[in-house]
Amino acid sequence: MTKFKLSMITGALLASSAAFAQVTAITGATVHTATEQGTITNATVVIEDGKIKAINPQNMAADITVPAQGLVLTPGFIGSMNQLGLVEVGAVARSRDASDEKAGLDFDPSYAFNPRSSLIPYARKGGITQNVVAPINWDGVYSGLAFTADLSGDFESITDKHTALVIDLGARSKGSRALSFQQLVDKLEGQTAKLKKSEDKKEDKKADKPSGEERVLTQLLEAKLPLVIDVNRAADILQVIKLKTQFSLDVIIRGGSDAVLIADKIAQAKIPVIVSGVSNLPSDFDAMHASLENAGKLEKAGVKVLLSVFGDGSHNLYQLRYDAGIAVSNGMSFDNAIKAVTSNVADAFAIDGGKIAVGQRADLVLWSADPFELSTHVEKVWINGEEVSTQSRHDKLRDRYTTDSALPHAYTK
Amino acid sequence: MQKFAPSVLVLALTAALAGCQDTGPQKEKVTIEKNPYPSTYKALPASTTLITNATVLTGTGERLDNADVYLVDGKISQVGIDLAVNADNTIDAQGKWVTPGIIDVHSHLGAYPSPAVESHQDGNEMINPNTAQVWVEHSVWPQDPGFNRAREGGITTLQILPGSANLFGGRSVTLKNVPAHTMQAMKFPAAPYGLKMACGENPKRVYGGKGVAPSTRMGNMAGYREAWVEASEYKRAWERYEQEYAAGMNPDAPKRDIKLDTLRGVLDGEILIHNHCYKAEEMAMMVDLGKEFNYHSGTFHHGIEAYKVADLLAENGNCAALWPDWWGFKMEAYDMVQENVAIVDAVKNSCAVVHSDSDTTIQRLNQEAGKVMYSANKNGFDISEEHAIQWITYNAAKSLGIADKTGSIEKGKQADVVIWDKSPFSVYAKAEHVYIDGAKVYDRNDEKYHAVSDFMLGQK
Repeated sequence: MTKFKLSMITGALLASSAAFAQVTAITGATVHTATEQGTITNATVVIEDGKIKAINPQNMAADITVPAQGLVLTPGFIGSMNQLGLVEVGAVARSRDASDEKAGLDFDPSYAFNPRSSLIPYARKGGITQNVVAPINWDGVYSGLAFTADLSGDFESITDKHTALVIDLGARSKGSRALSFQQLVDKLEGQTAKLKKSEDKKEDKKADKPSGEERVLTQLLEAKLPLVIDVNRAADILQVIKLKTQFSLDVIIRGGSDAVLIADKIAQAKIPVIVSGVSNLPSDFDAMHASLENAGKLEKAGVKVLLSVFGDGSHNLYQLRYDAGIAVSNGMSFDNAIKAVTSNVADAFAIDGGKIAVGQRADLVLWSADPFELSTHVEKVWINGEEVSTQSRHDKLRDRYTTDSALPHAYTK
Repeated sequence: MQKFAPSVLVLALTAALAGCQDTGPQKEKVTIEKNPYPSTYKALPASTTLITNATVLTGTGERLDNADVYLVDGKISQVGIDLAVNADNTIDAQGKWVTPGIIDVHSHLGAYPSPAVESHQDGNEMINPNTAQVWVEHSVWPQDPGFNRAREGGITTLQILPGSANLFGGRSVTLKNVPAHTMQAMKFPAAPYGLKMACGENPKRVYGGKGVAPSTRMGNMAGYREAWVEASEYKRAWERYEQEYAAGMNPDAPKRDIKLDTLRGVLDGEILIHNHCYKAEEMAMMVDLGKEFNYHSGTFHHGIEAYKVADLLAENGNCAALWPDWWGFKMEAYDMVQENVAIVDAVKNSCAVVHSDSDTTIQRLNQEAGKVMYSANKNGFDISEEHAIQWITYNAAKSLGIADKTGSIEKGKQADVVIWDKSPFSVYAKAEHVYIDGAKVYDRNDEKYHAVSDFMLGQK
């Protein structure tokens, strides 16, 4: 027992020194900052206490130096609008927590986040360091609240509990999208009136405690909570722009297949658009203008573009960098494609990270070359200043079945 | 009718001479038309084409630098360095790469087309665990815009399969990816039919959920075995009929059953098995099932765990058509490894194929193969581009039974060829020109060769 105590103390000391005193310098890399600084070649980036402490400092005393000549450093990529940590196996009901029939617009799935999901280390292979996790409502309007988590796998990895409200105002399998719009407007008008009333009666201390839904609506109306709206058709996007103007909402569009038709209006309304880099089929009558060129066209019109893995974006999140490459090969600029998976996501959702600049959260990825290219791999990943592994159970399975052994594979661990 | 008469007479005489008891004139012989919806495919107009100075991946494991490819009369006429030939069109492909036309062995285009609306759910007849009687070609909508998108990604040949809800899902069809307004005009001439089978979770979920068999994996196996027993009896009945008829007797033909026609086609070696099957232990049993009923277990599709039985698959001559990285949507898709294709491929006499099962990734099957190549090479493999291209060309053609016709750049093969602007294993690679049977069907830089589906025409 005594022995254990001693080693535990040593361990604790080491851990604290690692967490608080260690200075890491990554030297000589080509750095894509995802800021106005653009790309800096042969740069040194110093990280300490989970933050980026310096870029190209005059003097440097580092505990750990990572030589990175010929390599590429980017901010960690930020995934969005998937169910990472809320699903292990899609078809296994007991491993799913992203939706609930009884959930309302204040549904908060962050309670169910599992940082130990096997999907998380796998996504790190794709250089993903943070992720906006969204609930789903398969055929309803209100999905609930998105939250943000880093991909450290630590129990304390939720970085923002209420990142956005997620709703769907697009095509409906039953009923009409008109009612979706109408009811949302009613809710927002109702809450606006309520807020005005309570302002008028400030002296009344006995006002009812607001419901969860009312609290979320208030945050929307105060533009403190972004509203992600799934919508594709141009006419619907125009309705969304009106909605934003009428209630001064902080709106983000997700989907936006037709956005290219009214790109100027979207840019003018300062609405960021989350698009897929690979959707180019008319999956329904809302998506007649889906095209691989859309990301680039929106960028050129001045729209802030965020790239996201659509479909099963939880298990396939690691592919985000390939989607960005495909966007580049179809007209998006490389620099904006980097931003579309880093700083644009951070800015749109008001989360810390996504940039290489002094004082920023040290979520960094060191790549063997161009991060979007198939032949490139991740060399190292830091989350909140700590280096994390990119090994997952998939590597263990591969190694087990490619290792010769006289005993059954079950003995190869 | 008159044409038949003499042979009937001859047969009748033979029968009489053979001393058969049935002395009356033979009834007309009942034969089964095996090709009632024949291909009407015709290659688009083509002139002789010479592609020069390209990096050529032949599909047979070779790479030729600064090489020329000469297309004449719809066929590959010559491949080599500095060919001394004249052509109507010469394309300088300096810095560009040439590969065989890309083949996807697993697609649902046309059967589950875009737009994916209620009226278009034509890919899976989910009414019985055995629907071997359905032919997916009868569901194919040639106006699916997905065919055009796939062609722009270099897809020249593709197999359309029914879905995987049933133990026996029905017949597949192999198509040439040319724009057409009938299915027959796309049908790959003389390609064998396939039969879709499915293991595992899907059939037992769909039927178990309805309270009918199968509801378990053992129920799946029982369902296959019962069907093959019935098919074996059907085959025997027809063979007996044919033998007796040939012997001059006057037998009654067995009752025709189109479901059993398809299964019999497998037992006769005319129809190839394409088996949706994820797990190692299930693939091993499907191999034995084939041996039990004397047919070949064909190609395993999806095979998330194929790497666990790579030796067995190679030994038994099974192709494995796989994704590079899909996983986790079901328990049977949980044990994915990104090197699956490479591990299967590394065994002697293997047949590793990269497939899409997707209207999206079919557009970049080259990149899907690239993902495997690079992740494998990072983890101890040494796979070249000229080797990896086989996963989406020659090996795919082999899986479909058309490797004698397409799938490689070799003299005499159908001139299905793609010119890429750079290595097809780059995320930035694009198909610039696509040829099918020597005819240009797509040119990235010439609007004239951009086909538009009826559905998309005039949409605003």
